[in-house]
Amino acid sequence: MNMSMKDWTISLLFTSVLTAIIANFFQNDISIMESIPGVLILSSIAFIGIFIAKIVPLKVPAVVYVALTGLLLASPISPISDPIIYYTSLISFTAPLTVVGTLAGIGLDFKAFMSQSWKMIIIAVFVFTGTFLLQAVFAQVFLTVTNTF
Amino acid sequence: MEKAQQKTTIIGHLKENYRLYAIAFGIVVIAELIGTIQFSVGSALIVLYPMLFAIIISIIFGKDALGFLKKKETKKASQLVLVAISPFMAKIGVMAGANLPELVNVGPALVFQEFGTIGTMLFALPIALFLGLKREAIGATSSTNRDKDYGLICSKYGANSPEARGSLSIYIIGFLIGTTYLGLLASIVASFDFFHPLALAMASGVGSGVMMAAASSTLATIYPAYADQIVMLAGMSDMLSAITGIYFTLFISLPLVNKMYAWLEPKIGRRGKNKNISHSKSAESRVSQ
Repeated sequence: MNMSMKDWTISLLFTSVLTAIIANFFQNDISIMESIPGVLILSSIAFIGIFIAKIVPLKVPAVVYVALTGLLLASPISPISDPIIYYTSLISFTAPLTVVGTLAGIGLDFKAFMSQSWKMIIIAVFVFTGTFLLQAVFAQVFLTVTNTF
Repeated sequence: MEKAQQKTTIIGHLKENYRLYAIAFGIVVIAELIGTIQFSVGSALIVLYPMLFAIIISIIFGKDALGFLKKKETKKASQLVLVAISPFMAKIGVMAGANLPELVNVGPALVFQEFGTIGTMLFALPIALFLGLKREAIGATSSTNRDKDYGLICSKYGANSPEARGSLSIYIIGFLIGTTYLGLLASIVASFDFFHPLALAMASGVGSGVMMAAASSTLATIYPAYADQIVMLAGMSDMLSAITGIYFTLFISLPLVNKMYAWLEPKIGRRGKNKNISHSKSAESRVSQ
């Protein structure tokens, strides 16, 4: 990520923080005041993860550090796991996603898409179907063989 | 002093991006007002939720359809996708931490199913060859071609190579229809009633956060009893793909797709040789014309 932490924080405030609270209100009828602590906790975890990604020189996507930070802070070894789990449980996981779809859609290069050949569109469908189905088969076989269900 | 300086930069930042933020906010509100719509097609439960409406609305308002936003703003928007998705990844991390024993329990399965990634070429390479593609097919079917995979293909074959052209095509198409398609695919495959919901959850980690989100939200709606586990496992699977994906493509997928190409191309690919394929610019096809 080649944005400064300041830019990153402002952007996050005006995209996810604002819209996750709104989305949580519309989707789950959770009042704006009730949503604020959870959204701020998630945003802080995101902030810590992005910060770690900036100082660790490994070539790993920043979202990995974000998820690992969340995992660590909510795991049994964390002294603050209870409030973190409680407040974030009020935020549905789909609430932060609407703005993600919005930004992805705005950023889309529609002309580049239209210039693609129909053959490539068919191939793309098979690429995504192939990986999804085979991953499902592998997971199913493994879980059945090891009797994990 | 320092505070004053910070203030001006925040205002500067807002001045530059306020239109983008305002439009994004408006689209989110509209998408949320539409809400989640479910309907059955045969035995498949199709779930359309605000994120998908948001994608569709914002494509219409973007620079190409209605020309509402400037090129600079749409570029900024694609940068912001990574910022905006981070709280969602934080949520997945928290869910994983809260369900750590269960995650450890299915951990081996999670690692094992990553090898299912070779499904891209098993399914798509024969089709690509049948349609008459040459080396483009290698790039296109070696992975789901998300950002890092495209980068890898470019550095290995060169940005102007047919392999990179194929990869870029899937990258662009995946961006537009991949998210919607994966949600749909999850509904359809779930309707077979063959796979366990948790197996489908792991399959949702296809190497793109947005696509994983679409597939896992759909699955969570179809299997409400497993909702939290589904999102947690899908997220962890996607995280694993994000860490291992590029090495997997480099050391497993690419050698394998090249072997498959060498074996299948003479068998299936001949059909396309006599025809003029507009986007196949390989030396081979030029010679044969």
